[in-house]
Amino acid sequence: MIQELFIAALLFFGAGFVLPLAVRSDRRIVRTASYACTILASVLLGIPAIAVLLGSGTVIFPAYAPAGLFSIAFVIDRLAAFFLLLIAVVSACVALYAIEYSEHLDGGSRRNLLCGCTSLFILAMVLVVASANTLSFFFFWELMAAASFFLVMYEYDQPATSRAGIFYFIMTHLSTVFVMLGIILLWLGSGSFALDHLADTPSYLATGSFLALFTGFAIKSGIIPFHKWLPYAHPASPSPISALMSAVMLKVAVYGLLRFLLDVFSPELWWGALILVFGTASAVLGVIYALKEHDLKAMLAYSSIENIGIIFMGIGLYIVLGTAGLPFLATIALLGALFHSLNHALFKSLLFLTAGSVIHATHTRDIEHMGGLVHRMPKTGALFCTGALAIAALPPLNGFASELLLFIAFFESVTVVEPLVKVFLFLCLALFALTSALSAACFVKAFGSVFLGMPRSPESAGAHEVPALMLAGPGILAAACVVLGLFAFQVLTIAGFTIPVMPDIFLIGLLLLMMLVLTYAVAFFASPRTSRVSGTWGCGTHFQEAGTEYSGHGFSEPLDIIFSPLYRTRIRNERTFFDEHGAIFKSGTAEIRLLRVFEEYLYLPVARQFYRIAGAVAKIQNNCLDTYMLYVFVTILTLLVFLGWSA
Amino acid sequence: MSLDFIIYLIINTAFILLIAPLFAGLIRKVKAWTQGRQGPPVLQQYYNLAKLFRKEIIYSPHASWIMRATPLVNMAAIMVAALFVPLVFVPEPVGGIGNIILFLYLLALARFFMALAGLDAGSSFGGMGSSREMSIAAIIEPTTIIVFAALAIVFKSFNIFVMFASSAATGALTTPTIILIGISLFIILIVETSRIPVDNPETHLELTMIHEGMILEQTGRNLALMELSAAVKLTLLMALMINLIIPAGLAVTLTAAGIFIAAILFILKGSLLAVIIGLFESSMAKKRFFQLPSLFAMAFFFSTLIIIIEVFA
Repeated sequence: MIQELFIAALLFFGAGFVLPLAVRSDRRIVRTASYACTILASVLLGIPAIAVLLGSGTVIFPAYAPAGLFSIAFVIDRLAAFFLLLIAVVSACVALYAIEYSEHLDGGSRRNLLCGCTSLFILAMVLVVASANTLSFFFFWELMAAASFFLVMYEYDQPATSRAGIFYFIMTHLSTVFVMLGIILLWLGSGSFALDHLADTPSYLATGSFLALFTGFAIKSGIIPFHKWLPYAHPASPSPISALMSAVMLKVAVYGLLRFLLDVFSPELWWGALILVFGTASAVLGVIYALKEHDLKAMLAYSSIENIGIIFMGIGLYIVLGTAGLPFLATIALLGALFHSLNHALFKSLLFLTAGSVIHATHTRDIEHMGGLVHRMPKTGALFCTGALAIAALPPLNGFASELLLFIAFFESVTVVEPLVKVFLFLCLALFALTSALSAACFVKAFGSVFLGMPRSPESAGAHEVPALMLAGPGILAAACVVLGLFAFQVLTIAGFTIPVMPDIFLIGLLLLMMLVLTYAVAFFASPRTSRVSGTWGCGTHFQEAGTEYSGHGFSEPLDIIFSPLYRTRIRNERTFFDEHGAIFKSGTAEIRLLRVFEEYLYLPVARQFYRIAGAVAKIQNNCLDTYMLYVFVTILTLLVFLGWSA
Repeated sequence: MSLDFIIYLIINTAFILLIAPLFAGLIRKVKAWTQGRQGPPVLQQYYNLAKLFRKEIIYSPHASWIMRATPLVNMAAIMVAALFVPLVFVPEPVGGIGNIILFLYLLALARFFMALAGLDAGSSFGGMGSSREMSIAAIIEPTTIIVFAALAIVFKSFNIFVMFASSAATGALTTPTIILIGISLFIILIVETSRIPVDNPETHLELTMIHEGMILEQTGRNLALMELSAAVKLTLLMALMINLIIPAGLAVTLTAAGIFIAAILFILKGSLLAVIIGLFESSMAKKRFFQLPSLFAMAFFFSTLIIIIEVFA
C-alpha cells in the first residue's frame, strides 16, 4: 500500500511536469491542472511519509539496474520519511499559493514552463531523499540542481536575474563536484555505491570523503563562506520558487549530510567540532547580515543562512556529544536539528510566500518603500506576523520548540568529560543565544517597516489585499507553525522520544491564553471603555509625514554600529582641484559602499585563478587542424608505449 | 496538577501584582533622597496606576491591532513568566513551569510585542526606543544565557523551582560561585529593567530614553498595563536574585504561617535590594549608548569566568 501510494505520488508529479509542457497554450486551466497534480501528489506523498515515520517499518523498492554497478534504487526509512513529509507539506502549500500567483506574473506561456519545472524540481527532491544508493542520489541531485536553475532563470531577460542565475549555476555545480568527489572516494574505500556503513576502510579515505561531502552539502545549503548564491538567487526568482528553494532544497542538503553521517561514516570528535564551528559562524554572521539588508527577500535569504547554521549546530553537537559517549543528549541535539529543519521549512516558506504577496501588492522589494500595510493587507499582515514570531523563536510557536531542544542539549553538555570541549560548547551556546536575540530584532524590523507606521511610497499607500488562494497556502503553514509549537512535546512523544526536561508548551499556551483573558476581563470591567483617535505626537508639528518616522535603516543603525567591524565599508573620496595645491575645489565624487567581504576576498580571487589557468590551457588550442592531429598522434603513441611497457 | 500547585498559582500571582509597584516606588524615593529631594510618596506608583486605569485611551490614526493587543499580550506574557518564579512558596514543579529557558523567552515575547507597538504609531520616538531596546536585548543575551547555564550547572536543574528549593535547603551563600552569579544577575537586572547606566527610566528626553520612548504612545489603561508589567518584571528579576542568594524564610510547605512569614521577609529583602538598586543608580551616570557594548562585554567575560571556575574546579 505504501509503495503504491509513493509511486502514485511520483506519477502525479510527473504529470504535473509533462502536462504544461505538452499543452503549450497560454491558458490558466493548464497551469491550474499542473498545480493540482502537484498538490495531489504532495498529499499522496504525505500519507506514506507519515505511516513510515510513525513506525510502519522501512519500505524497500526493487532496484532498477540496467548495467552492472549502475542501479537506481529507492528506500524509505524513518529519516527519509521525515524529509519526505517536510517536502510534501511545503510543496502542497506553495503550489496552492502559486495557482493564483503565477497568473499575475509576466511571461505568457513561459508560465507553463514555470509550473512544469516546479513539479519536476519537487519530484527530483523527493527522489534524492528516497535514493537508496549513492549513484541514484547523485543522479537526482543533479536533476534537482538543473530544475532549480531553470526556475531561478524565470525572468531571464532581467540583467540582475541572469547574473544571479549564472552565479547559482556555478555554485550549485561546485557543490555537485564535491559531492561527486566524496562519492568516488567512498567507492574507492568500499567498492560499492550502497549507502552502507563503512567499517574497515582506511580512515584517510573516509576523512577525505567526509570533507568533500561536507563541502558539497555546505555549498548547497548556504553555509558561510559558501553562502553568496542565496542572497542573489532568492530575490531573483519568483516567490514560490524562493520559498521552495529556501524551505526545502536547503533541507535536502541537510538530509544528505545527515544520511552520510548516520549511515556511512563513524564520525570523530573533530568532525563534529568542524560542523559546529561552521554552523555557529553561519548562524551569527547570517543574522547580522540579515539585519543590514533592506531587500525583503534578500533579508529572508540571509535569515535562511542563519537557520541552516542553527541546524548545522545541532548536527555538530550531535556528533560531539555522540563521540563523548552521551547518546541520550546526542539524540536530543539531533532531534533539535531535525525539528528545526521542519520548523524552518514551515515558517520560512510562510514568510517567503507572504513576502511575495507584499511585493506583488507594492511592486518593490525595498522595505524602505513599504509601511502601513497592516491596514491595507490585514490578513497577509497577520500571517507574516505569525511567521515572524515563529522565526524569532518566541513561545508558544514552533521555532521556540526546536531551539529549546538545542538549548537543553547545550545546557546539559556540562556532563561532557573534557573541560576544553565544555568551554568550546559554552562559547557556541553564547553565540547561539546572540543569534536568537538578533533574529528577534531583525524580524521586529521586518514586520515593523513593512506593515506598521505610515506608507512610505504611493504604491504602498494604494496596496490591496491579495486573493483568497494566495492566503490559503500561507494560512495552512501558519496553522502548522502554531500547532507544532503548542504540541511539540506531544509530537515528540508520538514520534517515540520522551524528553523529561522538555516543558509541555501546550500548558504554557493555555496559561498565556488564561492570563490574556483575565487581563482583558479586568481591563474591560474595571476601566472605562472609551477611546478616541488623535494624531501621533510629533513634537508640535501640525501633521506628521512618513519621512519623519523611523525607517528600517534607522532601526538597524545601532546594531550596524555595534557590529561595524563585521560590515566592512569602503569609503571612496575622489576630488579634483583647479590648482596644484589642492585649494580650489573643482569636482569630486564620494561613495560609501558596503564591502562584499566574501566576494572580494574569497570568490573573486579564486575565480581569477581559474580564469588564469583557463587562459594558459587555451594557449594549447591554436585553431589549426595539424596541431590537433599532432595531439592525437602523440596521445596514441604514448598510450601504445605505455601499454607495451606495462604489459 | 495538585491543589498545592493551584494555590501556589493564585498566591504568587496575587502577591506579585500587589507588591510590584512598591519596589518601583521605593527605588524612585531613594533616588530622590540622594538628589536631596523629597520625592513622590513610596505609594505613588499605586496612585498612578489607579489614575491611569480610569482614563480614556487615545489611539493614533496610524495604529493597528498591534497597538491594541500589545498591552494585553505583554501583561499576559509577564504574568505567565511570574508563575515561573516563586516569591514566597516553592511547590513541586508541574509540566515544565519554572523552566529557565522558557522564562527567558517569555520575557522576549513581551519585548517583541512592545517593540512592535513602538513602531506602530509611526512616531520617531517609538521607533528609536524599539530599535535601541532590541539592540540592547540582543547584545546582553549571551551574558544572560551563560549566567542561566551557570545556574543550571550549580543547581543541576533547569527548573527555577528546584533551584529555589535547593538553595532554601542549603541556606545558599555556600559557594563562591553563587556570589559571582549574584553579581551577574544584578547586571542583567539593571539591563533588563532599563535602569541607569543603560537607560534612564525618569526622563522623557529623546536622547536618553529607551523603554519610555517605546511606550510613549500608550495611554490610559494601556499605559497602566505597560507600567504594571514593567514593575512586575522588575520584581521577578529581583526575586530571582533574592531567592537564590538569601533564600532564608522561603516556604517549601504550604502553611499559612510559613507563607505569611515568607511574605514579610520577602518584602523586607526586596526593599533592601530596591534601596541598593536606587543607590547604585544614583552613583552612576547614564552611559553613552555606544559605550554599552563594552560594558556588556565585561559582563560577558565575567559570567564566562564563572563557568570556567565551575568547570575546572
